[in-house]
Amino acid sequence: MSKLKHYETMFILKPTLTEEETKAQIEIVKSNIEKNGGEIVSFDDMGTRQLAYEIEKNKRGYYFVIYFKAPANAILELERNYRINEQILRFIFIKYESKKEITAWTKMSDEAAKKAN
Amino acid sequence: MAEKRKYGKKYCKYTEMKIDFIDYKNTDLLKLSMSERGKIMPRRLTGNSKNAQEMVEKAIKRARHMALVPYIVDTKNVTDPAHIK
Repeated sequence: MSKLKHYETMFILKPTLTEEETKAQIEIVKSNIEKNGGEIVSFDDMGTRQLAYEIEKNKRGYYFVIYFKAPANAILELERNYRINEQILRFIFIKYESKKEITAWTKMSDEAAKKAN
Repeated sequence: MAEKRKYGKKYCKYTEMKIDFIDYKNTDLLKLSMSERGKIMPRRLTGNSKNAQEMVEKAIKRARHMALVPYIVDTKNVTDPAHIK
């Protein structure tokens, strides 16, 4: 059993999807994280917003952030899944490692959890 | 004969606000260290501390990748500026 590390992932979905389709896409991502031995701590739904520049001729995008813990070797598999998915315009993984970063991570995820409730 | 300073003393805005981690999602914080064209301002102009500058650089680069802040503001596209939400 490898040790779980603190991660954050953000991705942009296409704005052309319907509400149900976006929900389905988010569920797919979440289930992928859980399948690879990660546990989701909280998530932040930022909704559709204007992109700073066009990506694949889209001017808007649906932003979604997930705070989770996962073993380090799961990230590669998660990245592969993101790349296959055509509905995802952009994604990012951020690792929080040092003490200072982890306190920032817990603070942000607490805020996100509060916002969701 | 020290010349009189033309501007007030520079200070680090992030240290003053007691921020010890700069999040890339918080674009208001990032804009303090960006020029109007979207460039990262050097430390000699903003007066940021070394620690804060390193964090803000990283955060701006991440935010650019996620299309939260522009790489460059295009003045030719005046009809559709990037910073208006």
